[in-house]
Amino acid sequence: MIDRLTGFKGVRAGRAFALLAALFVLTFGIMVVLIAIDQQRVLDSTTRLQEQTVPEIIRFQRLARNLEQLRQEGERVFAAITPQARQQAMFVVTLVASHPSVLEHRESAELARQTERFLADVVRQSVRDDKALASSFEEWQRMAARLGLLVDDVSIQGINLASNDLGDVSAAMNLARIKLSVALLVVGVFLVLFLVLLRAHLIHPLQRIDQALSTLSVDQPLPAFKPAAMVEIQAVEEAIGELHDSLVRNEQARLALESLANKDGLTGLTNRRHFMQIADAELQRAQRYRRPVTVGMADLDFFKKVNDTYGHAAGDTVLRAFAGLALETLRQSDLICRYGGEEFAFVFPESTLDEAARLAERFRASCAEHDIRLADGQLVRVTLSMGLADASDCPLETALNQADAALYDAKQQGRNRVVAAASLPVGE
Amino acid sequence: MLFPIRILTIVLLIVAGLAPAAQAANEKALRVAVLENSPPMAYRDASGALTGFSVEIIRALCEEMRVVCAYQVTTLDSVLDEIAAGEIDIAAISLLDTPERRARILFAKPYFRSISLWFAKPGIEPGQAKVRVAVVRGSAQERFARSKGWETVAARTNGELAEPLRAGVAQAAIIPMSTGLNLMKNPEFRQLELVSTVMNEPELGGDASFGISPRRPELKEQIDAALERIKRNGTYDRINSQFLPFRIN
Repeated sequence: MIDRLTGFKGVRAGRAFALLAALFVLTFGIMVVLIAIDQQRVLDSTTRLQEQTVPEIIRFQRLARNLEQLRQEGERVFAAITPQARQQAMFVVTLVASHPSVLEHRESAELARQTERFLADVVRQSVRDDKALASSFEEWQRMAARLGLLVDDVSIQGINLASNDLGDVSAAMNLARIKLSVALLVVGVFLVLFLVLLRAHLIHPLQRIDQALSTLSVDQPLPAFKPAAMVEIQAVEEAIGELHDSLVRNEQARLALESLANKDGLTGLTNRRHFMQIADAELQRAQRYRRPVTVGMADLDFFKKVNDTYGHAAGDTVLRAFAGLALETLRQSDLICRYGGEEFAFVFPESTLDEAARLAERFRASCAEHDIRLADGQLVRVTLSMGLADASDCPLETALNQADAALYDAKQQGRNRVVAAASLPVGE
Repeated sequence: MLFPIRILTIVLLIVAGLAPAAQAANEKALRVAVLENSPPMAYRDASGALTGFSVEIIRALCEEMRVVCAYQVTTLDSVLDEIAAGEIDIAAISLLDTPERRARILFAKPYFRSISLWFAKPGIEPGQAKVRVAVVRGSAQERFARSKGWETVAARTNGELAEPLRAGVAQAAIIPMSTGLNLMKNPEFRQLELVSTVMNEPELGGDASFGISPRRPELKEQIDAALERIKRNGTYDRINSQFLPFRIN
């Protein structure tokens, strides 16, 4: 889901997160610019309110004041006791009705002009006829009422100018608030996305890697990784695979070295040093459990003559063939070792001297009939002499010495035979 | 060795800081020309102190600009020369816009709007032959009447504008609305039984401004800003109500 969402497959973590950050900065930057535009609108509106609308409102208020003054002077025209006072009030009416402040407002100019004309007529008639004032008063009251309404209208018109600007400001502020909310939402979404990606592509893989490393061993198979998206994680996981391979190879090398150290290079049989260790262990085990065990020493008869006749390479072939035959003929549990030169040592676990003697005899017999093919195709046969000694009640060295002594007896008695220590030869 | 140098530096800095301040204090005493017999715009009250709409407006402006203003009395016919010569910084007189004035002085933002009236016996119309027209010397009204080829009688001040009419030297007068308001309060003037007609010619009405010396162009901005402020904070309207029956801006 996340992989498809972001298409992060095989992308470097640094690059991916840089891309995400750039996208974030771009988006957030755009939001900030949009909000800044709204703020500019608010600033413009308030500046306009301050520099244009407020003087305009004051102008409307003054106009309203003048219209009200016009009405009052009109009242004064009717209320005046003397013609002089009436004339004075009429003069002010004329001035107000002619003043640019009234003339520049069409509606006011019209009504002021009407008022002036009406009042001028009234004043003119009043000079000739005292009743003119009284007869016109009703009409004046209607006109005064119109003036009063116009005063209200003009006041409201002025105030409404501010309403427009303030409406503009509040609209801009509302828009800015919405944009700010969206910007915060965008920040939140990016943060969540970032955390999800961090979890999916870095934290989880790192946890898997930690798990894999803590359980990594030669005995366990290589833990299977789900294919990771991040190149870095892939690299680490591949490195873990290589580490596992290397562990396995090291273990193989260690085992190879160990077996090299324990084996005779020519025949592949256990060498003398290793034989002494495992034979000793075998003897101790047998003696602890009071089990029979027998050791043997064998020597190839006239081996020097084989070497002299066919060469050393042939001698080596013979030794290898002999070793192969021994492993083939004797039991799996029997220990066989190249003791030195053409001399071999044996341990027959769970075998009494008689049983071992029968085994050895069978081996001697098969050896004597076994044709060994040399490198040049010639066939040779070798015989062996073997001495056996019971080892169930004495140290290894002692038993081997006894077996060696028996071997010596076997040689003395004419070779190609098995002799048990302190007993007669068991066969030819 | 370092110590005296440091003290010297500090002293120098203080002196350097004080010098422009002292200079500024001198410069701040603005020379303001006002009229003294032009009620209700500029006149002497019962105690002899200068007052009137224009006078109080310039006082409010000086206060708003936080400058000290030194007032001197002048007349309309000489103010243009004085201001052009740099003898005064501000002419706190309602000046209508004329080409001659505009060529010689700077105008501040208009501080009110005026109209002019034709005062004459009934039947005497503007432009009528053998009618001598009273005007204030150096006024826009004088300029207008002369440009029309009318015969004029020049009064020195607005306060004296009724004299030629009363004496019969002039049969009509072109009178600014403020002066007209004042004259109409005067019973003697009313006894002349003149009728007034508003003159709609643009050169006789409209914006009236203070004049500023062309040598102090920086004052214009300050005065305009201060005027804007007193219009907003109510000072202007209070002065308006004090001297005139309606809003003249």
